[in-house]
Amino acid sequence: MNITVMKTLLWRETWEHRGLIWAPLITAAVIVLTALLSTSFTGSVQINVDGKEQALFATLATDLSHQRQLFAVWLGALVIPQMIVAMIVLVFYVLDSLYNERKDRSILFWKSMPVSDAETVGSKLATALLLVPLWVWLVSMIASLVVFVIVSVKLAGTPLAPLATFHLGTWLVLQLTMLQNVLIAALWYAPVAVYLLLMSVYAKRSPFLWAVLPPVLLVIFEEVAFNTSVIAGFIANRLFGFFRELDLHISSDDGDTSASVIQQIARSYEQLGTLDMLAKPDLWFGVAVAVIGFFVVVRLRRWRDDA
Amino acid sequence: MGAVIHARDVRKRYGRSTLALDGLDFDVAAGRIVGLMGPNGAGKTTALKSILGLTPFEGELQVLGRDPRTERDSLMKDVCFIADVAVLPKWLRVDHALDYVAGVHPKFDRQRADDVLARTDIKRKSKVGELSKGMITQLHLALIMAIDAKLLVLDEPTLGLDLLYRRGFYEALLNDYFDHERTILVTTHQVEEVENLLTDVLFISHGKIVLDSTVDALPSRFAQLITTSEHVAAARALRPVYEREVFGRYAFVFDIGKGGAPTTDELAALGDIRTPSIADLFVALMNDGHSNGATAGRVGAEVAA
Repeated sequence: MNITVMKTLLWRETWEHRGLIWAPLITAAVIVLTALLSTSFTGSVQINVDGKEQALFATLATDLSHQRQLFAVWLGALVIPQMIVAMIVLVFYVLDSLYNERKDRSILFWKSMPVSDAETVGSKLATALLLVPLWVWLVSMIASLVVFVIVSVKLAGTPLAPLATFHLGTWLVLQLTMLQNVLIAALWYAPVAVYLLLMSVYAKRSPFLWAVLPPVLLVIFEEVAFNTSVIAGFIANRLFGFFRELDLHISSDDGDTSASVIQQIARSYEQLGTLDMLAKPDLWFGVAVAVIGFFVVVRLRRWRDDA
Repeated sequence: MGAVIHARDVRKRYGRSTLALDGLDFDVAAGRIVGLMGPNGAGKTTALKSILGLTPFEGELQVLGRDPRTERDSLMKDVCFIADVAVLPKWLRVDHALDYVAGVHPKFDRQRADDVLARTDIKRKSKVGELSKGMITQLHLALIMAIDAKLLVLDEPTLGLDLLYRRGFYEALLNDYFDHERTILVTTHQVEEVENLLTDVLFISHGKIVLDSTVDALPSRFAQLITTSEHVAAARALRPVYEREVFGRYAFVFDIGKGGAPTTDELAALGDIRTPSIADLFVALMNDGHSNGATAGRVGAEVAA
């Protein structure tokens, strides 16, 4: 595969789908704006300061390692809205990617160029699984710095002030951890992306319905016929399993003791950098399905010019 | 040097019954400008799609020595095509179109495309959707002409364009592109427009080639007799492949290239003889059952055999 060709193909995707570039930027802007306007410090990690938590913050103020962990977890949590927006945008992008070119017949132009079907399909898959996630990673890295500055200004003079200490090393490690998660997510979501590509290359119209209806009907059928929900569980696991694994939830709502909150912080921090996913057979099964599906999509695009 | 296109018994079936290509046999040599002509539904587009690797088929077809079914991507380094519809997507910006082709095509000369575009009113930052149909064709042609290809395939390239753009299109093609080493395969309904540029004609009807000839050889193969009503019976006796009546005068087309055909002297005795234009020949050979020459189609088929 030629690097210049692949680079051009990836650029092409961003020309057609400007939203892939803009959506993460707009989301980042909203997050920064929220941080500016908000009185608590982020929506994702809510720690309300009242009498009960005084002890917790006193502990954290002196416990440097847990301070670092909390710093990493709340910066990490900032990525979540970014990921949700990116995923929605990407679902529609992938469904359009091999359908629009047939609808507007531009496929005849793309096919007049010395670009193989595998390169074309590969470029769309790479856009969804790598290019956009890496862009989100980059944008949220910068957004997290901006948010951090805003928050530390706001926290100055409050009991939380010690938490607004910038830990450069922790921040750098966090970025690498996030990069690692981007790559693991690419593997985890590869079969989902390939499934959407398959519907995109196959559907004569409305690829969205083609993608959504079969699984929904299967789930309903299973519920009605067998009163079980194996398929629903399977789909939910594939769609949300990645986040279930990466649980960044920290809560002190139930009047938790400071010790248990610190445990939560530590657990969440470990979850951030976990490689557990790589040990799951599910992940590799999905990758295998994605590889097979990829060749099916390539094969279908080869003769799919009769729109 | 081998044939640019080498087709033997190329067949293509849609569904169970429709035979789009019914055993095509032809060769296209390098440096020719070939007109592939046929009525709607004759198999023109299917033939082009097969040549371009856009559709599967049966039989043997080699384009520049490659099988288009399996080697489309490498074939497209040496083959360019403009399809019968505007296929540049509306969202594509002109400068990005140039970037794209420059990025994926090893034989694209960007400077040349820039020069061609500079002669038009097309703005670099315009999107294709903002250009007129004529401008889109100019843009596509500018991209294609900057590619050093061996074979250019044009499928109704000027469809829907006004006369000025149509003229400009073929002028640019002949003056700035064709160099006697390249090969051009063109289909069009506007036969008059291309007939002066063609070196070869391929007529296709019902998925078969019914005429495969160089333009130079046509005068020795076909003659058109213009005569008056008193010679009609005599002319018909010489088995014309086509006849028509215009304002009381009769035009007959004869296949004089085969054994048993009338000689030019025999025809000259009946009226004026000239070489039919390609448009006349097209009508003569394709006209099965549409006109008074109900037998012409059948005779036309014999021409091919």
